Amino acid sequence: MADPKPRKFEDELADLESIVSQIDSGELSLEESILAFERGVALVRSLNQKLDEVERRIEVLIRDSRGDLKRSPYQGDLGRDAEAENKDEDESF
Amino acid sequence: MAGQLEFQLKSPARRIALSVSQLVRLVRETLEVNLDQCWVVGEVSNARLAPSNHLYFTLKDTRSSINVVMFNSAVRRMRFRVDDGMQVVIRGRVNLYEARGTLQFYAEEIEPRGLGALQLGYEQLKQRLGKEGLFDASRKQRLPMLSHRIGIVTALGGAALRDMLRVLLDRYPNLHVIIRPALVQGPGAAPEIAGALDDLNADGRAGVIILGRGGGSLEDLWAFNEELVARAIFRSAIPVISAVGHEIDYSIADFVADVRAPTPTAAAQLAVPIKAELRRRLFDMQSAVAASVRNRTSAHRRRLTDLGSRLRDPRSVLRQLRQRLDTAAEELNSTITSRVRENRHNLREFAAHLKIPSTIAVEQRLRVDRLAVRLAQAMSTRANPYRITLERSAARLSEANLRAPVMQAHAHLDRLFDRLESASRSVLDKQRLLLAADSRRLDTVSPLRVLERGYAVVINTRDGRAVNDAARVEVGDEVDIRLSRGRLHARTIARETQ
Repeated sequence: MADPKPRKFEDELADLESIVSQIDSGELSLEESILAFERGVALVRSLNQKLDEVERRIEVLIRDSRGDLKRSPYQGDLGRDAEAENKDEDESF
Repeated sequence: MAGQLEFQLKSPARRIALSVSQLVRLVRETLEVNLDQCWVVGEVSNARLAPSNHLYFTLKDTRSSINVVMFNSAVRRMRFRVDDGMQVVIRGRVNLYEARGTLQFYAEEIEPRGLGALQLGYEQLKQRLGKEGLFDASRKQRLPMLSHRIGIVTALGGAALRDMLRVLLDRYPNLHVIIRPALVQGPGAAPEIAGALDDLNADGRAGVIILGRGGGSLEDLWAFNEELVARAIFRSAIPVISAVGHEIDYSIADFVADVRAPTPTAAAQLAVPIKAELRRRLFDMQSAVAASVRNRTSAHRRRLTDLGSRLRDPRSVLRQLRQRLDTAAEELNSTITSRVRENRHNLREFAAHLKIPSTIAVEQRLRVDRLAVRLAQAMSTRANPYRITLERSAARLSEANLRAPVMQAHAHLDRLFDRLESASRSVLDKQRLLLAADSRRLDTVSPLRVLERGYAVVINTRDGRAVNDAARVEVGDEVDIRLSRGRLHARTIARETQ
């Protein structure tokens, strides 16, 4: 909560892309390009983390008798490939 | 009752007055008997929807007009809006509005003439919402590039849901899908869809919502053409992808949605990127950055090495210069020394043979010595500034690390070297001249010169000293006579002391 607002994936990716092109252009001094490199590596790390941030979960949102939103696991068919994997996931609910 | 009234009306002779309500009821009942259900064609004017949701308008042709009312239960089933000037066919019955005693047509069903009702309703809503700006490109939200939570509004158990889940999880295995089930066809579908969209917004976790169903007839897909759904899509703070069956026809939902996909499968593809591709792209970028920096640093390193090797050059030039200076100084020294030694030798020889007053020899020796000292001093005073300059230049050069200064230093050193060389040469020449002049002066006072003019030196062999007084030689003594060239050995025959 005290964290600064998490940055969006595409914003970080755009930053990374501009760093890559800056370094590529050769406009930066050696020191600057090494600083940029360090920032780039940090961004790659953060972006990779973002890719794995969430666990697979499939839930159904319905309104209960009191009209409140309620979450429950999805029990239905997942289509060919995803089916097997989801069985494990369901137990975490 | 009806029979009684009929009887009364058919007997005008008897003055039985009816109450207004009796009359109106009589008329109403008469109408009900004779005009039950019918279809009527006409043009709509003065159409208005009351807050009660009852629809009122006037239906007219060129000669007559009649008020029409459609109650809200029937209005709800309408697929288009009744507007002024529209030609319609209405099913219903005519009756009397008893409160006012006016004739009214109670409409059950209204159909537009020409177009089908659905088609007309679609066109009308599209036009109206378009005018309101619900389809404006500027109001559309961009889909986030990566959203870990995808909301889906569709029917549970439908093929569309299965297709979407399969594609979503294939592309992005660790995805969180939030399904908000809703009826997607039939009566009540539109409010359910709208409610589901609102619920996902209230829940707030999804980054993208897919609203979809598989294909069907225009009738089946109708909910997606309803204003309720259009407005729910429009007010969704979460970007909505519409994916309504048919690839060819656009639903109103398609127009309002932030992104329109032709099928649920296509919507799933738009909603999430392929994780493996993102991963690869990140990896490629990281490698590109690393390679670029590596190239950059190795280019710098090569340049440094190059410059470093260039930097050694001036130092070795300096060493060479120093060596040349040293050699020159040595040469100078040895020249001077040998000249001095030569002169000294000559002088000593004469001093020994001629007993030249020692003052001359001493004086000459001192002069030569002074000369040698001065020469050495002059050499080092002249050479020192160049040495210092050279060393400074070298120091500066080793600090600098760019090509241009190195080149400049090269040129500067070359100039310095030339100057140093010519300077040391001129010092050397000058000293040589001085030395030659001194030697010449030494020559003029040299006894050898005197001998050359025909004088001779007589040396007493007894004591080896030059004879300058006849009294010091006895008759019979042997003497050496030193001439300009050669010597004579002689015996004294006679002497004159006077």
